[in-house]
Amino acid sequence: MDEPSTDVIQGTLDMLILKTLSLEPMHGFGVARRIEQITRDVFKVNGGSLLVAFKRMEREGLLESEWRETENSRRAKFYNLTRAGRKRLEQERADWSRRAGAITRLLATEA
Amino acid sequence: MRLWLELKHGLARLLRRTRDERELQDEVQHYLEQSIAERVRNGASEEDARRAVRHANGNALYMREEVRSFGWEQRVETLTSDIRYAWRRLRQTPAFTIVAVLSLALGIGANTAIFSLINATLLKPLPVERPEELAYVRSSSSSFSYPDLDELRRLNTAFSGLAAFGGITGSLRVGDETSLVVGAIVTGNFFSVLGVNAAAGRVINTDDDRTPGAHPVAVISHRLWQSRFVGSAQAVGRDVRFNGQSFTVIGVLPPGFHGAVQGQVRDIYVPMMMQAVARPPRGQYSGDMDANLLNRRANRWLTAIGRLRAGNTPEQALAQLTVISQQQERLQPANGQRISTAAVIMVKDGLGDRTQLVTVSRLLLFVVGAVLLIACVNVANLTIAQSGARRKEVAVRLALGATRHRLIRQLLTESIMLSALGATTGWVLSWSAIRAMRAAPTPEGALPITLDFSMDARVLLYTAVLAVATGILFGLMPALTSSRPQLVPALKDQGTGKSDSRAGLGGRSTLVVAQLALSVVLLVTAGLFLRSFARTQSLQAGYDTERVAFSPLRINLLRYTRAQGRTFYRQAVERIEAIPGVESASLARWAPLEGGNSIRSLLVQGIEGPPEVFSREVSDPTVLAANAVNVNTVGTRWFATMGIPIAQGRDFTVQDDSGSTAVAIVNEAFVEKHLVNAPAIGQRVSLDGPKGPWREVVGVVRNFKVTSLTEVPQPLLFLPLLQSHETGMTIFVRSRSGSTAAIENQVRSEIQSLEHNLPLSSVNAMSALVSTSLYTARAGARLLLAFALMALLLAAIGLYGVVAYTVSRRTREIGLRMALGAQPNAMMFGVVRQAATLAGVGILTGLVVALGTTRMLDAFLFGVESYDGATFATIPFLLLAVAIAASVVPARRAMRIDPIRALRAE
Repeated sequence: MDEPSTDVIQGTLDMLILKTLSLEPMHGFGVARRIEQITRDVFKVNGGSLLVAFKRMEREGLLESEWRETENSRRAKFYNLTRAGRKRLEQERADWSRRAGAITRLLATEA
Repeated sequence: MRLWLELKHGLARLLRRTRDERELQDEVQHYLEQSIAERVRNGASEEDARRAVRHANGNALYMREEVRSFGWEQRVETLTSDIRYAWRRLRQTPAFTIVAVLSLALGIGANTAIFSLINATLLKPLPVERPEELAYVRSSSSSFSYPDLDELRRLNTAFSGLAAFGGITGSLRVGDETSLVVGAIVTGNFFSVLGVNAAAGRVINTDDDRTPGAHPVAVISHRLWQSRFVGSAQAVGRDVRFNGQSFTVIGVLPPGFHGAVQGQVRDIYVPMMMQAVARPPRGQYSGDMDANLLNRRANRWLTAIGRLRAGNTPEQALAQLTVISQQQERLQPANGQRISTAAVIMVKDGLGDRTQLVTVSRLLLFVVGAVLLIACVNVANLTIAQSGARRKEVAVRLALGATRHRLIRQLLTESIMLSALGATTGWVLSWSAIRAMRAAPTPEGALPITLDFSMDARVLLYTAVLAVATGILFGLMPALTSSRPQLVPALKDQGTGKSDSRAGLGGRSTLVVAQLALSVVLLVTAGLFLRSFARTQSLQAGYDTERVAFSPLRINLLRYTRAQGRTFYRQAVERIEAIPGVESASLARWAPLEGGNSIRSLLVQGIEGPPEVFSREVSDPTVLAANAVNVNTVGTRWFATMGIPIAQGRDFTVQDDSGSTAVAIVNEAFVEKHLVNAPAIGQRVSLDGPKGPWREVVGVVRNFKVTSLTEVPQPLLFLPLLQSHETGMTIFVRSRSGSTAAIENQVRSEIQSLEHNLPLSSVNAMSALVSTSLYTARAGARLLLAFALMALLLAAIGLYGVVAYTVSRRTREIGLRMALGAQPNAMMFGVVRQAATLAGVGILTGLVVALGTTRMLDAFLFGVESYDGATFATIPFLLLAVAIAASVVPARRAMRIDPIRALRAE
């Protein structure tokens, strides 16, 4: 059997990014690693998709960015949630619960 | 908010490209390095880590590309790079670019010129404030009298302002020069209702319109200011003489304002209260009467224009005005003279009959549209020919991963750039052509409207849209076909064999056939118009057009009395006949072909007829009641002066005066229609009903042209001036020599010295009137011919292109044949024959289409059927000759192919 897909569920990358950044501001790699860690490698993000998502969300006003020094004294672009971002996170979280709950209920019904 | 952020980020990206690019590079770099470091920390080797990371994310370049291509600014960047690339390509192939740009310039330029004409005459709103609120008011007999309009103005509430205007033609003396001007007489609120202000000085206002005769002020148009006052700053405040009376110029109007009716140019405006001087009653001696029309309900000569109040529709306004007329009729009955409103027409819908104008516009648009289409096909063909040379480049780009969509976009950018260049060149061409036309204006009265071109923003937009549409039209098909080449052969620079070239050739051949067919249609149309014009031109007027000069003597503008008028006319004829070089001189009320006629009721003695009596002046007498006749009042020996032969009886003499029997002269058509029962001479007619006076017919003259050269002879009746004295006569002078050139100046100076306030713009030979009446036909035919020749040239270029392409594609084949012994001549004939076949198909198609569509031209043609054999027979031969000529040059190249080189080439 093929290896299980580690791709992010379509449409949820934004939510994962928002949640990760809600804990603390981070650079791109940091977000990728945190997602991998917390989901225990169920989801692995593609670098290109991640950076494109950052760009898109920054244009939507959900994130803001600034160049800072990392702990390794390297320069990196750090992203942070805006207030609109936090609101969007809540919306997405609620929406996900609603849908996931519905699927769970459906799958739980006896044949 | 989001839009703003998008804009901000996109602009930042565009403006700080290098910095942004470096940041992106750093970010991607950081991400990849960190990913690799992480794996190494977890135990992988450097090598493996690098490979794994690249596998998961793609390499740095790829990642950067992913991020970079997101965002609107990217599209702008690709557009700019497309444009730069297209520009480079076009410069690399100058021959192609120049031919394409010129073709497009011709096509788009012609469209721009015609559209600017349509813009000025049909589309452009009046240059006034909020023209969409304005409406004309017309009565049931189209005009109003002043008392009627004044009532409506005072009592209505539907309009925020209602103004009246009438047309005037007067003599204007500025300094030493007197000439005729066409202007308008307006109520004081005219300019404020329209919302027009003076460019210099001021306009007429209600204070200038209070007391009859007390406000000798005038406002002049911009172009009159330029021509008669040479644009001098001292024009405002200057005194001039209008119809002999002193007026002061109080203002100059802005350029572009020509009056209240689109298409009618008015150069001077005077207040309504000056009517007695500025617009004397016509047809009678105004010096003999109370010239005041302002209190006469029976004289209807005004049109109204008003600004509708917000919320009022023209229908509501019409209803209200009708009610007002009815109410006033009850309060102050006017013996049936009060006339009511018949129509309230929005100004934007135009006054008067525009159907002919619309038809002509449609015809012109079709013609220039066809020219543009042919040009487009040409450029499409050229582009396809070019694409052959670019197959390799396209194949390389496709192989490197370019999407077809991207390629097509780039090719279309080239096409649109080409058509943009063509449109710019065409705009310049159009502008120069219009300037040339403005410098040589149409003669007075030649066209029913004043020809004007307006190249304003609307025309610019039209041209721009046309340019883009054209670019897409001729660029799309080549772009679609050339972005799908067979990759491998293209990369190897090989020909792909017959199938590819045949398909391309088939497409191009179809296009050329279409071009030729369109050219045929245009040429046939032009041919028909030319023949029609030639027929018209060869018509005889029926009098001596070269030996006779004429000049209108508008003494009625100067308030002459009848006694003064008689004296003046008598003296004018005497003094002019005294000029050596003048054989005879006479007078007539209406000049043939000038456009004025009197219609009066007719009774023939012995024949029953309705007793009604009427007399009116019309410009188009073609529809006459059975008991009406066209009447002209002429002086003694007018027919002799004009060179009109007398068929029976005699001309008028000095004996036919008020003391003797009332007489009349008729023409042959009159005899045919009205005097069939008995010999014409001696019969009696009455123009004033059964009570008479009964006039005896003393002469019959041959028919001659009165309204237009192409008219069917109509019955005419002539009265002697001495028995039926009128004003508004024109003098006719017969020269001893064959032309009038020698006497024109002397005639002018004699008349001017007799009365220096008389406007004498020119003394012309009658042939000038003939020429003017032919103007439309001539100009139309020439214009169509110009466009048709343009189309033919473009089609010939197209054919040349296809033949050249065929020859180059078949180089190997031809070389092989010649190596095997075929004669070079035979090769050339083969090519020419092929071209002739192509042309033949095109010509046949065109003829079929032409036969079907020229029926629509029937209304415009004279003496020529819309399926005229001569035209339809000669055009094909002409086209075939041109086609063969166009194909000979590339065909000869086929002859000169070196077989060895041809076989070696791939």
